[in-house]
Amino acid sequence: MSKYPKTAAALAVASLIAVAALADPLPPDATYRPLPTQPLDVVKALDEAQKPQVMQRQQALLEQRYDLSNRPIDNAMMSGGRKPVQDGVRVRLATGVTWDSLSAMSPDEIRQRGLLPAGFMPLPHVKQATGGQVFPNQQIDEINRQESRNIRRFDIDFDLPDQFTPEFPPPIFLTTHPELGDVSHGQLLTIKNYYQLMIGIITPVQMEGLRLLLTPFPQEEFNQTEDRKSADQSLGVTCLDCHANFHTNAAFHQTPDVRPQAARFRLDTVSLRGMFNQQIHGSKRSLRSIEDFTQFEQRTAYFNGDHVSAQRKGVNLPDRFDQVPMMAQMQNIIDFPPAPKLDPLGRLDPSKATQQELAGEQVFLGKGQCAQCHMPQTSFLDNNMHDLKLERFYNVGQTVNGLVTLPDGPIKTFTLRGIKDSPPYMHDGRLLTLADTVEFFNLVLGLKLTQEEKDSLVAYMLTL
Amino acid sequence: MRLLTLVTIAIAFVSPAAFGQSTNPASPAPGNPGGVPPGTRQSAPGMPAPRQTNQPDRTFIHAAAVGGLAEVELGRLAAQRATSRRVREFAERMVRDHSAANDRLGTLANTNGIALPDKFDEEHKAMRAKLEQSSDAQFDRAYIEGQIIEHQKTAQLLEYEIGSGENAELKNFASDLLPTVLDHLRMAQTISAEMAHQAATEMPRKEMPRERR
Repeated sequence: MSKYPKTAAALAVASLIAVAALADPLPPDATYRPLPTQPLDVVKALDEAQKPQVMQRQQALLEQRYDLSNRPIDNAMMSGGRKPVQDGVRVRLATGVTWDSLSAMSPDEIRQRGLLPAGFMPLPHVKQATGGQVFPNQQIDEINRQESRNIRRFDIDFDLPDQFTPEFPPPIFLTTHPELGDVSHGQLLTIKNYYQLMIGIITPVQMEGLRLLLTPFPQEEFNQTEDRKSADQSLGVTCLDCHANFHTNAAFHQTPDVRPQAARFRLDTVSLRGMFNQQIHGSKRSLRSIEDFTQFEQRTAYFNGDHVSAQRKGVNLPDRFDQVPMMAQMQNIIDFPPAPKLDPLGRLDPSKATQQELAGEQVFLGKGQCAQCHMPQTSFLDNNMHDLKLERFYNVGQTVNGLVTLPDGPIKTFTLRGIKDSPPYMHDGRLLTLADTVEFFNLVLGLKLTQEEKDSLVAYMLTL
Repeated sequence: MRLLTLVTIAIAFVSPAAFGQSTNPASPAPGNPGGVPPGTRQSAPGMPAPRQTNQPDRTFIHAAAVGGLAEVELGRLAAQRATSRRVREFAERMVRDHSAANDRLGTLANTNGIALPDKFDEEHKAMRAKLEQSSDAQFDRAYIEGQIIEHQKTAQLLEYEIGSGENAELKNFASDLLPTVLDHLRMAQTISAEMAHQAATEMPRKEMPRERR
């Protein structure tokens, strides 16, 4: 007798159970943002009382994971020439292992013995249960100075030391005016100064796009309702509050694409430089155009992917036929910083590069396998998402400062052009230096690089 | 009053995480104080005193208790009825692990003055009925498929409590349990994949019509 009927019956049973399971779902606030249960003054008092402890917890975590000392690389500055690039591997090893002994172990052994460096694991938000946007102090102070707009939270502060964030304000390079170089005049672009800085340089359409990117709109933590984290009724935030000067100031958030709250991983603000060559957008959503992304950020970066909450707090919906394209076209003229040692195809010019940099390029293209995804010729992108399967190295489901560490799943490839300008690294900022990224990929891809090869890779990345 | 203080100290001694202003990142992180119900007595700012749970805490206790109850009872059933040794072993482990978790949850519920459900809800009743009605040949598959769904839901429920709960002991319980539940889920998925593979190899070979070109 054929076994089909039995299989079919088993499947039928399974599907009946599945249908029954729908009868008793998780509560709605596992997906939707709950309404606050208390007035703002009560919540604010509690938040402020908790704040020292909250900040100490995160500080303890960072110190457990990283060497946070200020140790710059000699003669390596970010593109504006104002901030040095940090040196050395900062992720701490578990006792009893070296980077070489660790990379000689199998993923299974590392997982079973709990030896994956904690700094390679997902980095929690300062206050995971509350989440939301957190700006570095330089950004908060400058916005306050120029606009008298408050983007300071009463419940938490930015967590990473200043040496591990991009230079501020970052330079701005335009694809439409390579001859001008940095057009920022050393200033942070805001709604107050953009016009005088850009008149005569950009087109009317770009100017209007820029204005919209600098106009504050209500956001989950910065709005006029009781459900906010700014002391005053906030005017909101702008796109460039995080993407300062179209680069990044390392402001962070949580992914809008995951629920429940404890599982939402941290998001480090991505630079908008080179947007013209980037085909997919959002570390998880893989949106297919900068227009889609620009339009939808009003639901995601602004409101955590909760359109219901957005509606209540006053969402701004830019017009798709007129406003969104202007915002997109402005973003699409932001260039990478100059890389004088690269030729038009993204390869090192041997007459300009050092021996170590050239050796690093060879590792990058060969043994290091970096170029499999970070292809030099296409702005060090492959316009794909990849799953590094880091969970091979640790037991999933551990809770660290309120974040449940789960597999990251596929994440989009980020460009490496201008990479020295945009610490911290990875989508959540879990790695502080370029040397950290080399050790990370050496382990995750099983590369077995020598110290000389690792050093040359760092030297190479500084040229990009 | 003095008695209350003594009790509070005693409980605090047993589980420092519950009342602590702990700066250890491994201890339960503070919840969003926006979710603390008005009038909640607190042992630290935003940290509810014992018996002062919020709505997510109570929802969690109830759902986790029903799920835990079902895990043990259905595990016992499967330990008797399952044909495959691996499914029996899995079922025995479910009885063992979830009994331990249920005991801990029971203590926590008691401390917080919440009555635990002692009966199956509709969903689990339906699951039990299906298992009881399935033939011996169908049983293993039906049990394991049900277990995958159960553990998927439990993992999300635990994550919900870790993020939305306020009671530190309950959050701690959820954090402790989650890796085990994810481990169970992986085991059930592996067994299910093996059963599917076995079913495929046992399928009678059917002559495939020649492909047209």
